[in-house]
Amino acid sequence: MPDQTHAIVHLDLDAFFAAVEALENPDLADKPVLIGGRPEARGVVATASYAARAFGVHSAMPMARALTLCPQAVVLPIRHHLYREYSRRVMAICHETSPLVEQVSIDEAYIDLTDQVTTWEQAISVAEQLQGRIKAEIGLSASLGVATNKLVAKVASDRDKPGGLTVVLPGEEAAFLAPLSVRALWGVGPVTAEKLAEMGVTTVGDLAQLPQQELQDRFGRHGASMARMAQGIDERNVVTEHEPKSFSQELTFSQDITDFNALRQQLWQLSQGVGRRLKRKGLAAETVAVKLRYSDFTTLSRQMRLSMPTDDEQEIYQAALVLLRRAWQRGRAVRLLGVTGRGLSPPVGQLSLWEDRSQASR
Amino acid sequence: MKISCLQENLAKGLSIVGRAVASRSTLPVLSNVMLETDNGRLKLSTTNLELGINCWVGAKVEAEGATTVPARLLTDFINSLPPEQIDMELAVRTQTLNARCARFEANIKGIDAQEFPIIPTTDDAERAIRLEPEDLRQMIDQVVFAAATDESRPILTGVLARFDGDELTMAAADGFRLSVRSASLGQPVEEAIEVIIPARALGELARISPDQEDWVEVFITPARNQILFHMRDVDLVSQLIEGKFPDYRQIIPSSHTTRTVLDTSGFLKAARVSHLFARDAANIVRVEVAPGDELMPGRLTLAATSAELGDNVGQLDAIVEGDPIEIAFNAKYLIDVLSVMDTAQVAMETSSASSPGVLRPVGDDDFVHVIMPMHISR
Repeated sequence: MPDQTHAIVHLDLDAFFAAVEALENPDLADKPVLIGGRPEARGVVATASYAARAFGVHSAMPMARALTLCPQAVVLPIRHHLYREYSRRVMAICHETSPLVEQVSIDEAYIDLTDQVTTWEQAISVAEQLQGRIKAEIGLSASLGVATNKLVAKVASDRDKPGGLTVVLPGEEAAFLAPLSVRALWGVGPVTAEKLAEMGVTTVGDLAQLPQQELQDRFGRHGASMARMAQGIDERNVVTEHEPKSFSQELTFSQDITDFNALRQQLWQLSQGVGRRLKRKGLAAETVAVKLRYSDFTTLSRQMRLSMPTDDEQEIYQAALVLLRRAWQRGRAVRLLGVTGRGLSPPVGQLSLWEDRSQASR
Repeated sequence: MKISCLQENLAKGLSIVGRAVASRSTLPVLSNVMLETDNGRLKLSTTNLELGINCWVGAKVEAEGATTVPARLLTDFINSLPPEQIDMELAVRTQTLNARCARFEANIKGIDAQEFPIIPTTDDAERAIRLEPEDLRQMIDQVVFAAATDESRPILTGVLARFDGDELTMAAADGFRLSVRSASLGQPVEEAIEVIIPARALGELARISPDQEDWVEVFITPARNQILFHMRDVDLVSQLIEGKFPDYRQIIPSSHTTRTVLDTSGFLKAARVSHLFARDAANIVRVEVAPGDELMPGRLTLAATSAELGDNVGQLDAIVEGDPIEIAFNAKYLIDVLSVMDTAQVAMETSSASSPGVLRPVGDDDFVHVIMPMHISR
């Protein structure tokens, strides 16, 4: 992209959980579907399909209330595993589009196209192709916003849901944001919005009219950043990867486990998972922790610092096993088990006396 | 219970038993020290259930009895007193120990001695294995540091002790290094015995035993779950670690391609200097060995590089037999082993950058130490 302008896409999957359920079970397409906790368990709506939204249902609404608005809705439990798998496929397509992908949540990502394109026409066409591929290859609908920064791209993706593609050309950012409520800006919550309203400011346009100094005096550094955002300026970069602080694997059992050997097997599976992820990232963990949740939801965790950081699943397992033995009350029903490796650093390359260090204690 | 003893004797006894006091225990009585009259002496006992210590202190016993009081409080109080006679009396009904010395007096609330776990003692001198205290201390110093400090493999937190014929061999390994030391026994054992002793217990034993002039007598319970070290005035009892110690003999290389003989103190000093830089870089120190010729002696170069701090190089003259070699070690491991070598010269045997290095005191076949190298990318 010429003259340092960025081209950023914000991608948001439409009614993601409900859309995945409809792909898994085509009978659900176009029906009002609510994903979330059971009403009798005081569940809330995680996602409502568009057909359900027509009845005034929205996410975070108590399920019981949603069902009074839309009694014919199909209620389904959350299937995180399934959604993660679909999310992974969507993100893989994003990564094929550009190496600079910042996944913000399971159904949302920023993609920096700056180095991929030289004109806005190209940027728009790449975004359209991306949207088309997600629809054609996975079957999911996504709303996209294309702009010169993350703030404007995100607001744009929300403009024309579902399935829209909104472009805000360079120089049009402030005008695009002007009619929106100040709440649309990143970091403006209800309290700030109320204070602004007292100053006669309700839209981003109002905000842009205020002298920056006044905002800065009233809200400090946050005021200065609000003033810049109101002008459509946002200098945050697309962050491709956060340096991980730990790797965890945990599992809630479909049936509580009371048998030590069964727990041990699960622990081995989880330890392998942690070891694999460490190896893939070229890291080693200095501390191993085990998390245990009993059937009454009492949760405890125990950790151990190793004398040498490791990425070896056998070593992780050995440490986890010692911790499990220490923590677990024999015979008490376990609902969830987790293994974490933390204190991450590149492996130091210390060779072991035994080919497989854990064989020492077999 | 009513007794008198000297402040110095009681303070010393408390410092010996203090090491087995449980620091964080769910059983309050385990943070106490037991005081008990025993054949005209005062017996002090502590235990954390893994390690227990009994220590006898000379005392004048006017009335027999026993109680337990918080070890930390009693020790701090006794250490603050002048070196004079201490008179102690127990009020049985309230389990309160009254202690007076010079112009100080204290009443310390205790817990009934009945609640204190029994620490075994023994009079069975017949079945004792006798060890020379100085030998024992040196053996422990030379192996105990190689035991694992993390408990991910409990076996490796122990020291393997094998009594066989007239020889005792101790071995410890944390997975990256191995220390093996043997010594001859005063008299042969009838049958070979192998036990795994917690490294911590041996550390405490080494701290206590040099004061001893007589033999240290060792007893292993018939169930092979406890070991008792009997010294004059002190018994140390430790749980043994169950399980099978890995076969360490196969780890000690039987051959080498380079043998480098160095001045022990010079090598130790050079290792310490390189550690100043290495400790910031995973402790990696590069060791380069170059054989000499008619004009030049052989030499060993130690180099450490820290991306942030800088680097350093140290050089030593050496007698080198065999091929030149470059190998990297953990500087701390070198320091640990060189610190316990008590011969003037040490031999380092190596074969390749990825096979174990062996360090031996020159002129002493009883000690061998194996260190695994570190893998370095060039």
